[in-house]
Amino acid sequence: MALFAIFQTTFLLALLSLRTYESEVLSEPLPLTPESLKVSVSSTRQCLHLQWTVHSLAYHQELKMVFQIQISRFKTSNVIWVENYRTTVKRNRVLHWSWGSELPLECAAHFIRMRSMVDDARIPKPGFWSNWSSWEEADAQNSLGHDPLFVFPKDKLVEEGSNVTICYVSRIHQDNISCYLEGVQIYGEQLDRSVSAFELKNVSFIRKRGTNVFCKVDQGGALGGIVLFVSRTKSIREKVQVMTWTTGKMSCFALAMLEWLQAGRGRRGAAGWMALERQPRWWPEDPEVLEEPKDFSCETQDLKTLTCTWDPGSDTGLSKQPSQSYTLFESFSGKKTLCKRRNWCNWQVAQDSQEMYNFTLVAENYLRKRSVSILFNLTQRVHPMTPYNLFPKNVGATNATMTWKVHSIGNNSTLLCQLELLAEGKVIQQHNLSIKVNGEYLLSELEPDTEYVARVRCAYTNHFWKWSELISQKFNTAEAAPSEAPDVWRNMKMVSGHPTVSLFWKPLSKVHANGKILFYKVIVENLDKPSRLEVLSIPAPASSTELTLDQCSYQIHVTAHNSVGPSPASVTVVSGDPGNEEVESGRVNGTEDGFSVSWKPQSGDATGYVVEWCDGPQDLPCVLQWKNLGPNTTSTVISSGAFRPGVRYNFRIYEISAKRMAHLLEKKAGYLEELAPSDNPQVVMSNLTSHSFTLSWKDYSTESQPGFIQGYHVYLKPKAGEQCPPAFEKTVLPEDSVCCKHTTDNPEQKTFVVENLQPESVYEFFVTPYTSVGEGPLDAFTKITTPDEYSHILIRIILPMIFCVLIVMIICYLKSQWLKEKCYPDIPDPYKSSVLSLIKSKENPHLTIMNVSDCVPDAIEVINKPEGSKIQFLGTRKSLTETEFTKPAYIYLLPTEKNYSGPGPCICFENFTYNQAASDFASCGHFPVTPQAPLHQLGPLTSPENLLKALEQNYMNSLGEIPAGEGNLNYVSQLASPTSGDKDSLPTNPPEPALCSEYKMQMAIPLGLASAPPSENSSLSSTTLLGQGEHCR
Amino acid sequence: MRAQRMRRTPLSVILGLLFLSMAATSKCLGKYHELLLQLQRQADLMQDTSTLLDPYIRIQGLDTPGLKEHCRECPGAFPSEDALRGLSRQGFLRTLNATLGLVLHRLTALYQDLPEAQQLVGLNIRGFRSNIHCMSQLLRSSSEAETPEPTQPGPGPTLPPTPPSDAFQHKLKSCRFLRGYHRFMHSVGHVLREWGESRSRSRRHSPRRAPGDTAPAGPCRGGARRTWPLWRDRRLMPRGQLPR
Repeated sequence: MALFAIFQTTFLLALLSLRTYESEVLSEPLPLTPESLKVSVSSTRQCLHLQWTVHSLAYHQELKMVFQIQISRFKTSNVIWVENYRTTVKRNRVLHWSWGSELPLECAAHFIRMRSMVDDARIPKPGFWSNWSSWEEADAQNSLGHDPLFVFPKDKLVEEGSNVTICYVSRIHQDNISCYLEGVQIYGEQLDRSVSAFELKNVSFIRKRGTNVFCKVDQGGALGGIVLFVSRTKSIREKVQVMTWTTGKMSCFALAMLEWLQAGRGRRGAAGWMALERQPRWWPEDPEVLEEPKDFSCETQDLKTLTCTWDPGSDTGLSKQPSQSYTLFESFSGKKTLCKRRNWCNWQVAQDSQEMYNFTLVAENYLRKRSVSILFNLTQRVHPMTPYNLFPKNVGATNATMTWKVHSIGNNSTLLCQLELLAEGKVIQQHNLSIKVNGEYLLSELEPDTEYVARVRCAYTNHFWKWSELISQKFNTAEAAPSEAPDVWRNMKMVSGHPTVSLFWKPLSKVHANGKILFYKVIVENLDKPSRLEVLSIPAPASSTELTLDQCSYQIHVTAHNSVGPSPASVTVVSGDPGNEEVESGRVNGTEDGFSVSWKPQSGDATGYVVEWCDGPQDLPCVLQWKNLGPNTTSTVISSGAFRPGVRYNFRIYEISAKRMAHLLEKKAGYLEELAPSDNPQVVMSNLTSHSFTLSWKDYSTESQPGFIQGYHVYLKPKAGEQCPPAFEKTVLPEDSVCCKHTTDNPEQKTFVVENLQPESVYEFFVTPYTSVGEGPLDAFTKITTPDEYSHILIRIILPMIFCVLIVMIICYLKSQWLKEKCYPDIPDPYKSSVLSLIKSKENPHLTIMNVSDCVPDAIEVINKPEGSKIQFLGTRKSLTETEFTKPAYIYLLPTEKNYSGPGPCICFENFTYNQAASDFASCGHFPVTPQAPLHQLGPLTSPENLLKALEQNYMNSLGEIPAGEGNLNYVSQLASPTSGDKDSLPTNPPEPALCSEYKMQMAIPLGLASAPPSENSSLSSTTLLGQGEHCR
Repeated sequence: MRAQRMRRTPLSVILGLLFLSMAATSKCLGKYHELLLQLQRQADLMQDTSTLLDPYIRIQGLDTPGLKEHCRECPGAFPSEDALRGLSRQGFLRTLNATLGLVLHRLTALYQDLPEAQQLVGLNIRGFRSNIHCMSQLLRSSSEAETPEPTQPGPGPTLPPTPPSDAFQHKLKSCRFLRGYHRFMHSVGHVLREWGESRSRSRRHSPRRAPGDTAPAGPCRGGARRTWPLWRDRRLMPRGQLPR
C-alpha cells in the first residue's frame, strides 16, 4: 500500500509539472534571448571570455539550449568565428564561454554577439533563433601605453614545434617597421594600417631565456619586442594520450577549469585565481613537459574512503605557469574532486553501496592535459590498515606466544593475517591465520637465548588485494644450559723442569652455548694416586689456561657455564712424562683449499685424531689451532683464512687413545704456495789461494724461507775470456751477462770450494738458494782477486832471509868497528883536522902542514907516564885547572943532524890527543899534556940518547906492553907550527928563536882525558909549552 | 608617494644597518693612500664588463644585430662622472655607497640570470663598500674639528615602483642597468684617481649638472630611470692631514 501511495503521488506531481511546463514554455513561444552579455579579455592566455544569462526562463526551469556566437575582428562585418555552444540553461544561471584567439587580442579589436535557440528534446522542432544580442567590443589596445611600437603576445609559452602568431601595433603609422626573430628579419601580413601579423611556424627551442622577437622602426629607433618561451618536447610525447586542443584552445581550457574551480570553491577560488594573476612575472627556465601520471591506483582501508595514488612525474611548475593540477573524476557518480596533493587524493565512498568505480585522473598545466583511467570493484581494492599492539607473551627458552590486534573492516569481516618469525634477518617460520579483531599464536621450536623478530601483516579475506603494512616486534628467548662440551686441546711442554700443560678451548657456538658463557671450570684429577681434585674457575671469555703438573697422569675435565648451568664435560688425559716425541717429519702440499694432511694409524684402538698447527708464521707467536677427527679418519684438509703463501706451516698429528691420551703420530710441514727465496745468504769467503777459495753460508736458515730450499746456485764470473772452472757450467744471467754456475742440490751443504782458478785473476761470485718455484733475487756479486802463485813462497822464505841478513850485517858492522878499533885504527889526517883551520884563522894565516920529509927526526925522547898518575887521571877526571901541575909534558925532539949547530929551528911535538872531541876542545891549538910528568922530569930527554931510548921503549910498550888502561888511547897528530900558540900568556919570556919548528909529541892519552873540557889552564899549559921551546934550542 | 616613502624607509634602514654593521665588524686600513689605491683597483675591477654585462648579453640572446645597440645606459640612471667630480669627498663616498647599495639590490633580482657572476660581483661590491666606509671614517676623523657630519648616508636612493614589464623589457632594462653600472664604476675610478693626483691642485670644481642627469629619451622612459642621491655638501678638507 505504501508503495502504491508513493507511486500515485509521484505521478500526480509529474502531471502537474508537465502542465506547468506546457503553460509556461510551450504555450508561450520563446525567444529566450541571451542577456547581460559581458566580454572580457585575458591577455595572459589570449582568451575572450563571455558570460551571459537567460532571464526569461521560469523558476526551476532547465532547458537545453544552443547559443550561436559570432566574433568579428577590426569591424563587425569581418566575422572570423561562428560557433554553436550547447548547454543546459537554468534561470539566472550565468553562462560562460571562452574563445582563444590565435592573433594576439591586443592587436585588434574584437566584436562579439550571440543568439540562442532552445535545443531541448521536449520542444518540438524546428526551433528558431532568438534575436542577436548587440555587438560587444573587446579592445585590449585601450590598455596599452604610449609607446610608439608594441609587439604581442607577451611572454607566450609554447611547446616546441607549435605555430605562433605575433603582431605589432604601431602608433606612428609608418611603413618602415621591420621585425626580427633572433636577429633574422621575418615578414608578415599587414592587417590594418598600424597592425601587422607574423606567423611563426614550427618554433624551435633556442635558449632557456626565451626566443627574442622584436620590431623596430628603421630610422626612428623605436623598439618593441617579446620573448617567446619555447618548451622542449620529448620523444615520449607521441606515446602519451594528448588531448585534442590547439595551443590557443588549451589555454582557454585551463581558464575554463579555473572558472570551474571558482564556481566550485566560491570566493576562495576566485581569490586564488587573482593571486595567480598577481604572481611576480618572470620567465621560465626550461619548461618540463607534462606527462601522463603513472602507477595510478585506488584502494581503501576501511571501505569508507578511497585513496588514489599516482606518480606525478616531474613538476612542470614555473613562475609563469603553476604546477600541474590533478583532478579526479568518477564517471558512475559523475563526481569530481580537485586533488590538493601532487601524488594522492582521497575520495569519500558513497553510502549507496556503490561497488564499481571508474576513476579518471586528469593532470594539466598551461600547455597540456593528460589523463589516465581505472575501473575497479571497491571490495577488490581493500588494503587493510597496519595491525597494532603486537607483543610477545610467555617467552621461554624454546617458545613464545605472539598477540596483536587489527582494525575491523565493515561488519563481521575477517582478515587473513600472516605471522612471520625472523632470525638474523631470515624468515624461519611463517604462519597464516584468520582473525576478526585479536590475533594470537604460539611460536615453538625456538632456540634459547636468541633474538627473534616477529612481524604481522593482514589482508582482506573476501578478496585479496594487498597485504597491509607490516608491524614488527623483537623478542629474546630465555637461556638454557650449554648443550655441548667445549672443544679442548692441550699443549705439553717443560717449564723449569716441570711438565706444564697449556689447555686451550674454543668458544661454544651460539647454537650450543644457549646463553652467555660466564666462566669455564677446569677439574684436574690425578690418575696415579688418590688426591684432592683441583678445581679452577676461569671467567669467560678466556680460552686457555696453564697447569703445572708432576710426573703423574692426570685427567682434566673442562665445562662451560652460563647462567642456567654447565655444559657436558670435555675430558683430556695428560701424562707428566712427555715420552719420546721424536717422530719422522714429512712434507705436505698446499692447495687452494688448504693442506691435505694424511697419516698412518699406529694402533688399532685410537678413538680419534687431532691435527695441530699454528696459524701464523714461525717467527710470530703461535696461535694454536687444532682439528678433531674421528677414529676412522686418516686424512683431512686443513683450511684456514689465515694461511698465506710463502709461509711454512708445521702440522702435528696426534692419535687419541682409548684412555683419552694424545700421542704424537707424525709431523708435516708445508706451504700453501711455495715462493722463491726472498733473500740470499750472507756468504763468507775464506781460504783464498791462487787457485781456489772457500764460500760458506752456515748462518742461513732453510726453515724460515718461503719455500723448501732445494739447494744453492753458486755463480762465478771469471775474467774475460776465461773458461768456467770444471764444476761450473756456463749460464746467462737475466741482464744478459754470461757467467758460470754451479748447482748444489743439498740444502744443508752450506760450504763450497771454488777451485781451478787462475792466479792473479779477478773473480766475482754470488750464492743464491732455490726452491721449486725459483731462485732468490739476483744480488750484487762479490769481487775477489786470487793472489800470485809464488807470492806466498816469497813471503815465507825471502822475508826471513832478509831479516837474517840484516841481523848479520849489523853484527858484522859492529864487529868490524870493534876490529877496526882494535886492529887498524884510522891514521889521523892533518889536512882534515879542523884544528888547522882554526889555527889558521886565529894565529897565522901562513900556517902550513909540514911534510914528514921535511923533518929530520933526530931523537925522540919518550917519557913514560907513571901508571899511578894515569890511574889517578882516569879516576878523577878532573879538569886540568884542578889538576895540580905546573908545566905540561912535552916530547922533545932533538936534532941529530951533524950540521945542526947552535940555535936552529926547534922542532917540538906537542902532545895533542887525536880525538874528535879533544880536537874540538883543542881549538885553541894546544892541548895540555898529562900533568903527571913535571917539567923538570923532562930533563933527560934533552939528550938524544935518552930520547931514542925513550922512543924505543915507548914503541915497545905500544906493541906489547900497552896496559889495559891504555887500550883506549888515541893517536895524536903531528902538528908543525911555526909560531907558538899564545904568546901573551907566556909566564916566562924565553928568548924567541929566529925560526922554530915545533914537533908536538905524538903520544897516547886516555880518552877520558881527551874529553876534558878546555879551560884557561889549557891555554896556559900551551903557553907553557911554547915557553919550553927555548929548551929545544 | 606615501607608498614610496613606505618602501623607502625600510630600505634606508637596511642600508644604514648594513653600513653600521660593516663599520662595527670591519677593521679599517688607517693609511689613506693605501686605502685610496685599493678603492681605485676595486673600481677598475668592477668596471670590467666581462664580469657582468658580457655574460648577461650572451645568455639573454641580446648579442644579435638590432638589439645590441639598444643595450645602452639610460642617461641619469647612474650619476655622471661630472656629477661625481662635483661632489665633496664625503658626498662622493655617500653617493657611491648608496648607489652601490641599490646596485646590490638590483643584482639580487638578477640572480637567476647570472648566479655565479652575481655572487662574485656581490662580494666585490660589499668589499668596496667596506672600503668606502673606511675612507669615510678616515676623512671624517680628519675633519671632525670642523663640522660634525651625520654618519648615516641620508635618506638614501629611492627604488621607484616598477610597472609590470614583460620579459623583453626586463632583458633590455637589465642590460642597460649593467652597462650603466660598469660606466659608473669607470667614472668612480677616474674620480678616485683624481683624488690621488689632487695633492698639488685644488680639488674643488664648480658643481655641474652632468649631461646624463637630464631626462632621457627613447627606450629608457617609463620608470626605468631613477634619481640617484647626490650629496653635494662640500666642506674643506683639513689642511695637512689629507692630500688635496
